Amino acid sequence: MHPILAQPRRLGLYLLAWLFAGGLLSLALAFPEGGSALEGMALGLPLGLFYAFVSLAAWYPARAAPLRSAGALRQLVTHAAAALLSSAAWCLFGVLLARGLARLPLFAGAAGRFQTVLPFLYPVGVLLYLLAVALHYLFVAFEESRQAERQALGLQILAREAELRALRAQINPHFLFNSLNSISALVGDDPEGARRMCELLADFLRQSLRLGALERIPLADELALLANFLSIERVRFGPRLQVSERIEDAARGCLLPPLLLQPLVENAVTHGIAQLIAGGEIRLEARCEGGLLQLVIENDCDPDRRRRAGTGLGLANVRRRLEETWGREARLQAREEGGRYRVEIAVPAPAQT
Amino acid sequence: MNEPTPSAGAPEGAAPLRVAIVDDEEPARRLLRGLLAALTEVEVVAECANGFEAVKAASELVPDLLLLDIQMPKLDGFEVLELLGEEGPAVVFVTAHDEHALRAFEVHAVDYLLKPVSGQRLAEALERARARLGERSGAAGASGPGASAARALAAAVRPPGRLERLLVREGPAVAVIPIEKVDYVEARDDYVCLRAEGRKHTKQQTLGELEKELDPSRFVRIHRSYLLNVERLARIELYAKDSRVAILADGTRLPVSRAGYARLQELL
Repeated sequence: MHPILAQPRRLGLYLLAWLFAGGLLSLALAFPEGGSALEGMALGLPLGLFYAFVSLAAWYPARAAPLRSAGALRQLVTHAAAALLSSAAWCLFGVLLARGLARLPLFAGAAGRFQTVLPFLYPVGVLLYLLAVALHYLFVAFEESRQAERQALGLQILAREAELRALRAQINPHFLFNSLNSISALVGDDPEGARRMCELLADFLRQSLRLGALERIPLADELALLANFLSIERVRFGPRLQVSERIEDAARGCLLPPLLLQPLVENAVTHGIAQLIAGGEIRLEARCEGGLLQLVIENDCDPDRRRRAGTGLGLANVRRRLEETWGREARLQAREEGGRYRVEIAVPAPAQT
Repeated sequence: MNEPTPSAGAPEGAAPLRVAIVDDEEPARRLLRGLLAALTEVEVVAECANGFEAVKAASELVPDLLLLDIQMPKLDGFEVLELLGEEGPAVVFVTAHDEHALRAFEVHAVDYLLKPVSGQRLAEALERARARLGERSGAAGASGPGASAARALAAAVRPPGRLERLLVREGPAVAVIPIEKVDYVEARDDYVCLRAEGRKHTKQQTLGELEKELDPSRFVRIHRSYLLNVERLARIELYAKDSRVAILADGTRLPVSRAGYARLQELL
């Protein structure tokens, strides 16, 4: 869309500026011997208005050849040719107008007088056109910066949405429905157990929401969340789910993005323990070594288990978050060997306060 | 497997609905047991913690209805249904919310309950099962969802991809055969006979159906009646004009038709 034609306010200002130029032109045209102020205006104002519209066309070459991308020579040639042509058209319009006016007794001799101004008028026309080109480039730049701003805003919104989706995905609906089913089962003959399960579930949800809103959390907080999650799952799976932890004290204070490990532990339960008839163990390890925080999540698994749709989604998610946070300094490795699935993460351990 | 626990409220005279509960999570079984205890004319004949136990219970105790969890280790609910086949008990799936499963259920009209299970929905599902069972015994041949429906269901729910293993029911037991262990499959009317690790297994499925589920770059239809795992192929010999035999690594000889030979050549 043409930046001037598209907005009436801009068009009005633009035409006003050209009327002003037409006024100046009127003064100049009244100057030659035998001319009058009236004749100057009769020629100058239409000429100004005519050129206003001709110059609007400067937008199209300006848009087609943006300053940054097109070569300087090509631009120079394009615009110079357009300027010479436009000014020629302008002058021709002036000559025809002067001839027409000369037929009126009031403006007798106007055509001859206009001829004398022509050598000056032509270069002025070229310059005015080039001025219009500059103005249009200004508009192009303005539009581009606005577009970039809009785009940046759009990206920000997208990032926010992704964050929200991630959070929602972290609280897996299957997990919730299964937990509610367990509570429903306990209500009958173990009301105390049902109450404890409700508390665990409420704690887990509260923790997820609270920690999820933070930028970084200490490993100790993430571990507390995991302990809670695993307690709930232990009600469902009973003795099939065993958990062991080896956490170095120094590691507990290390900062991580929230809910980084939770999806991995959830995977360990759904794809590991839940696929084993006799169940198995989930092992969590954390230690600080050489400026790195080393994390291990390992679980028993059935090598012949069915690979379900969505497998690997959680892992890919974690990988992406690590990359976003630490770039290439973070490392994630997942491998399966002899009925054990092991995820190792190493991230820089920031200096502790 | 737990001992049968007859429900208290069954009135005298009427034959109670014999139900087996199948779920790998103890609380889930407990909930169903509790809800069923409140209903009349229902008898819980078995509680199974996995698919193998379910197939065994179905063989030995012949329940009218399975309340069948879908996500279970080793054998999932769909596979249990497939193994039980057309003559098996009626099935009501019990599952936590799962969009794919729901869509499949709509298409194939197998009844289902969502976790957490509501007592009222359970009673309604039992009512429907009872009605269906009545029809089944009334008109011979009419049956429940059956094996083919289960396979279609499973295909709709599982991620697209080739079959990784074959399940074969042998009486109350289930053999799980990894697909790479299968040497060849032979058609026998409505059954297939497959050989794996020196043993033969029969399965209620047609060769054409099975062929569609297998990886075509591994299993080739060398003959109207034979599907061959090409990794077992040692050589092909001309037997007579236009007739060849495939000789497997262990010396087994299988007939190769002209079309089958063309398919083999294309692959190799």
